[in-house]
Amino acid sequence: MYTCEDTINLLLDYLDGEMPLEEAKHLKEHLSGCAPCIDFLRTYRATPGLCRRALAEKMPQEVSTKLMEFLRTRIKSAS
Amino acid sequence: MSDEAVREEDRQLVARAQAGDIEAFEALVEAHRDKVYGLALRMTRSEADAAEITQDTFLSAYQHLSEFRGDAAFGSWAYRIAANHALMRLRHRRVVEAAEEEIQGPAFTERGSLAEYPAQDWSRSAEGKVLDAELRRAIQEASDHLPEGYREVFLLKDVEGLSYEQIAEVTGDSVPAIKSRLHRARLALREAIDRFYNRGNEVG
Repeated sequence: MYTCEDTINLLLDYLDGEMPLEEAKHLKEHLSGCAPCIDFLRTYRATPGLCRRALAEKMPQEVSTKLMEFLRTRIKSAS
Repeated sequence: MSDEAVREEDRQLVARAQAGDIEAFEALVEAHRDKVYGLALRMTRSEADAAEITQDTFLSAYQHLSEFRGDAAFGSWAYRIAANHALMRLRHRRVVEAAEEEIQGPAFTERGSLAEYPAQDWSRSAEGKVLDAELRRAIQEASDHLPEGYREVFLLKDVEGLSYEQIAEVTGDSVPAIKSRLHRARLALREAIDRFYNRGNEVG
């Protein structure tokens, strides 16, 4: 029988869908009787999406103007 | 526009740019500059470096355009170049490499059970449209505090969306090593978000 620790150690492989069937079965068995691990799995799974949103960046206007100028000069001087 | 439509438009722009149409190349730059800049800024945490990496990335994309085959998306090709440039800068910066600290995962009892139960499942409330400014800051801080090798892998995989194989190619690390660091990084970030949602309800 898997413990919480076994389960949490394997979460990444489980969510990637890259786990031998036998292991996935043990893991599901543990999850079906362990509410804390289900919450853990849900919050673990939600983490990358939240981080992606929190870390989103947009290029400031002056940087993109400079980028275009830079590329135009370099491309022109190369051709 | 759907991903497929974007890719099709990129394919046409690439073909025109390869034939010498500079405007088509500029359209490609416009379509992908935010993502390239974002990647560079997140990785290096320096606006000046990010601006330079973006310039270098698109210049080198232009110079190697003739080698670009249509089997990959232009975007992921450009992000890979950008990731390479960003990593080179980070490696260069880290002349004296500090020993990488370990990331602590959750605490378990001797019998391997979770020692602290999450006080609430916040995975649903996390789907809300607007991200709380404090939560955003908490995540940024937690990401900044990850040991460098973990932070790189987490950013490249979970934020930039590179595949394990692409990350292995740019970092030179093995896929199992990458997965193990990604898992530790996710645990640390999950923990930081959990602390945010459970602030105020001190447990035990």
